[in-house]
Amino acid sequence: MNIGFYVGVHHFLIVSALLFLFGIAGILANRRNVIALLFSIELMLLAVNLNFVVFSNFLNDLTGQIFVLFVLTVAAAEVSIALAIIVIFFRKTNSIDVGEASKLKG
Amino acid sequence: MLHAIVFLPLVGAIFSGLFCRKIPAIVSEVVNTCLLLTSAILAYFVFYKVVFGDVVITEIIFDWIKVENFQARWIIVADSLSAVMLVVVTTVSSMVHLYAIGYMHHDPHKQRFMSYLSAFTFFMLMLVTSDNLLQLFFGWEGVGLCSYLLIGFWYQKESACKAAIKAFVVNRVGDLAFALGIYATYVTFNSIEFADIFNSLAHHKDDVMRVFGVEYKSVDVICILLFLGAMGKSAQFGLHVWLPDAMEGPTPVSALIHAATMVTAGVFLVARFSMLFEYSEIARLMVTYVGAFTCLFAATIAITQNDIKRIIAYSTCSQLGYMFFACGVSAYSAGVFHLMTHATFKALLFLSAGAVIHAMQDEQDIRKMGGIWKKIPFTYTMFWVGSLALAGIFPFAGYFSKDAILEAAYASGTESGRFAFWMGTAAAFLTAFYSWRLIFVAFHGKQKMSKHVFEHVHDAPWTMSLPLLVLAMGAAFSGFIGEKMGMIENNQLFWHYSVSLGNNQVLEHMHHIPGYISKIPLLVGLSGIILAFLFYRVVPQAPVVMSRIFRPIHNFLYNKWYIDELYEVIFVRPLLYLSSWLWRIIDGCMIDGLLPMGSARLSVFCGRVINFIQTGYIYHYALMMIIGLVGILTYFVIYN
Amino acid sequence: MEIYSLIFYAFSFFLLFSGLMVISSRNPVHSVLWLILAFFCASGLFLLLGAEFLAMVLVVVYVGALAVMFLFVVMMLNINVETVKRSLNKLWPLCFLVILVFAADLYLIYNKSLTTHHFYNANATVKAPFVDEVHQIPSFDEVTNVHALGRIIYTDYFYVFQLSGLILLIAMVSAIVLTLREKRFSKRQDISKQVSRTRKKSIEIVKVGYGKGIEL
Repeated sequence: MNIGFYVGVHHFLIVSALLFLFGIAGILANRRNVIALLFSIELMLLAVNLNFVVFSNFLNDLTGQIFVLFVLTVAAAEVSIALAIIVIFFRKTNSIDVGEASKLKG
Repeated sequence: MLHAIVFLPLVGAIFSGLFCRKIPAIVSEVVNTCLLLTSAILAYFVFYKVVFGDVVITEIIFDWIKVENFQARWIIVADSLSAVMLVVVTTVSSMVHLYAIGYMHHDPHKQRFMSYLSAFTFFMLMLVTSDNLLQLFFGWEGVGLCSYLLIGFWYQKESACKAAIKAFVVNRVGDLAFALGIYATYVTFNSIEFADIFNSLAHHKDDVMRVFGVEYKSVDVICILLFLGAMGKSAQFGLHVWLPDAMEGPTPVSALIHAATMVTAGVFLVARFSMLFEYSEIARLMVTYVGAFTCLFAATIAITQNDIKRIIAYSTCSQLGYMFFACGVSAYSAGVFHLMTHATFKALLFLSAGAVIHAMQDEQDIRKMGGIWKKIPFTYTMFWVGSLALAGIFPFAGYFSKDAILEAAYASGTESGRFAFWMGTAAAFLTAFYSWRLIFVAFHGKQKMSKHVFEHVHDAPWTMSLPLLVLAMGAAFSGFIGEKMGMIENNQLFWHYSVSLGNNQVLEHMHHIPGYISKIPLLVGLSGIILAFLFYRVVPQAPVVMSRIFRPIHNFLYNKWYIDELYEVIFVRPLLYLSSWLWRIIDGCMIDGLLPMGSARLSVFCGRVINFIQTGYIYHYALMMIIGLVGILTYFVIYN
Repeated sequence: MEIYSLIFYAFSFFLLFSGLMVISSRNPVHSVLWLILAFFCASGLFLLLGAEFLAMVLVVVYVGALAVMFLFVVMMLNINVETVKRSLNKLWPLCFLVILVFAADLYLIYNKSLTTHHFYNANATVKAPFVDEVHQIPSFDEVTNVHALGRIIYTDYFYVFQLSGLILLIAMVSAIVLTLREKRFSKRQDISKQVSRTRKKSIEIVKVGYGKGIEL
């Protein structure tokens, strides 16, 4: 597995993969903090964006960048709604402990 | 006309049964009784036509089953044997219907009673006029059913319900053997119709059948099985346990069913199959021994009993033994003759006992009666007539038929015949003894009842007395008439080949036995009467002293030879344990636990498991999602 | 080439470091700030890859809008930092296992990708010949990246563009609806109601008896 010093596509991919891993670790590690959950999701999306752009570059295809644009759009929409929900949730329970939102307990 | 005889009672039964709430009792009673009387009168016409005109009336109703070789049709046939039975059944039944109007006067369920009585008569008539074994079995089962319904008529009484079930179950045991006999007949003769069976008998008489790997003669097997069925129905030793308990039913029921008709169905069956029995030595031996033993056995029990109806019930059991061993020594006609006379005097005795019970305000224990003969002279006379007929005193009916049987037994020349003769004679002695014991204790002596009851002892109303009178006529004269008509002659002038006369000409030999033998039954009967007079009138302490001296014997006889207890230990208790075990373990735990309860518990369990997964925490849901994602990814990595 | 690599290593190191700090920060405000740093570094990486438009959009939209929104909300919620509990995760073995498996998966995929030859050149500075004729990335001398993107957004990917507009609309509407509080009872004027009054509804003439009052 000689990566080499001079940067190639593999380096970018490793970065992207590690970032995604960090995102998942963030979800799993942040049990109580709902805002950290949201940040982890953002990290994952960022990693995915990076991946798309990398491939767009190395396949010489603009489609990747278009896709990134729309991922960006959807990410923005999703974050705004998530924050709205968090605001309401905070109004009700006055804490950001997501474990309090267990009314759907079966 | 045969149609009318057989189906009029059914019409009555359906009418009373369906409308039992809507019509007043008197309507149902009158309708049923009139239908029965019509049936009886028609039966006499048929009898005259069949016996003296030497015809056999056959009326086909409709085809029922037709599968390849097996054919079963509804046909009613009247040959001599059927005609005799028709007369007996319809006469006794119509008299019992009339009697029941008076006896059941205070009962709230008169219509139901009438319906059951008529239904029973219908089934019995189907039985005696049947042309094939299946129809006979239909009648057989039907009378068993009606017996159950009638014994348990007062269903609020627990002892009555138990007795009804006992009767039905014991009958069932016999029915099982009967059903096996029907199958054996079909296998051997390829048909269940009597005409086919009797016609092809000569071809099949040496056929052999394998039963559990051992080969037996087919005719033997069939006859033994049929006789086992007859034992159940006619309460022979072994399957007799239901008859005394059947006295829980009202007295008219006892008179009709357990004296005259249902219990005689067994004898009828054996007589009907007399042709077959002639070819089977073993079966006849069995019939003779069982019949003779039962005869004495029942008589020994009867001398210790204290309930009027029980005494007469054991008397029936004993007389049935007579009929059977008559058939066993090939004197079938004598057996049927005794059946006929017995029907009249036993029904008379039962109905008179009913009149006494009615007079004594439903008291049945003879130790609590006494000294009432002056108050109910008519009933007292009837009792005397019936008992004289039963004991076989000239010129009453029992003399002719009983003597015929005993002489035939002696004349048959075989060891079994001799055995039967001595047993029968001993039983005759005991019969006379207990009959007069009953009369003396119940009617004579000190009055042992309360003054109030004694005031009210009165003779029965006309609805009860008229049947008694009619039956008394029968008891007095039927023997004489029967002999004159040629019932026990050695020719076929009366029976016209409906009943076999036997190979060894026993009816012929009857006339050649020594004179003293033919007098023995009469002497024995008279001595029984004298002994009873001595014991119960002259020296009243004698029976008490005797029972104290011979206490073990007395207990043994009083407790019916402990057969009920024996059956309880051998059959009833293990069966109860087994069924209780089956119910609890197999039905309760296994089947019930697996299917309905098991599936319910399974779904609850699954629900609980799934409940465990649904925690409501977003974190857990996210975790699950990530695990799923990683799983899919891993799958693709590994397989690609 | 070396500068390229060095810049890449710098940017990617900071990216990964700030990603790590985002998820392990106790204070949400700190997390937001680290996130902003991550975005900047990612934007730098995008620049290295020649996607200038996207790099700028990342800064403007993600940092300028999203991260600021995060900050607003985090500060508005007025979270008490001490009460942010850090209890030990009861399921930590399972999580650890999941992450391990995932890492192994990524490693295997990466390994596999080393042996496939989908890429024209492992060298970043030389562009591959185009795969798809229509969407070839044009060289910088002809058209700018923005221009090139614009050429295909409004033509080939038009529907996607419209859909993303709709998504944004829905997001906006839902954010407002979700956080809307109940109406306060403030007095307001309804012009149309005022103008549409008739004489009949306004005045009622009542005869008042001597000494008696009126009941309204």
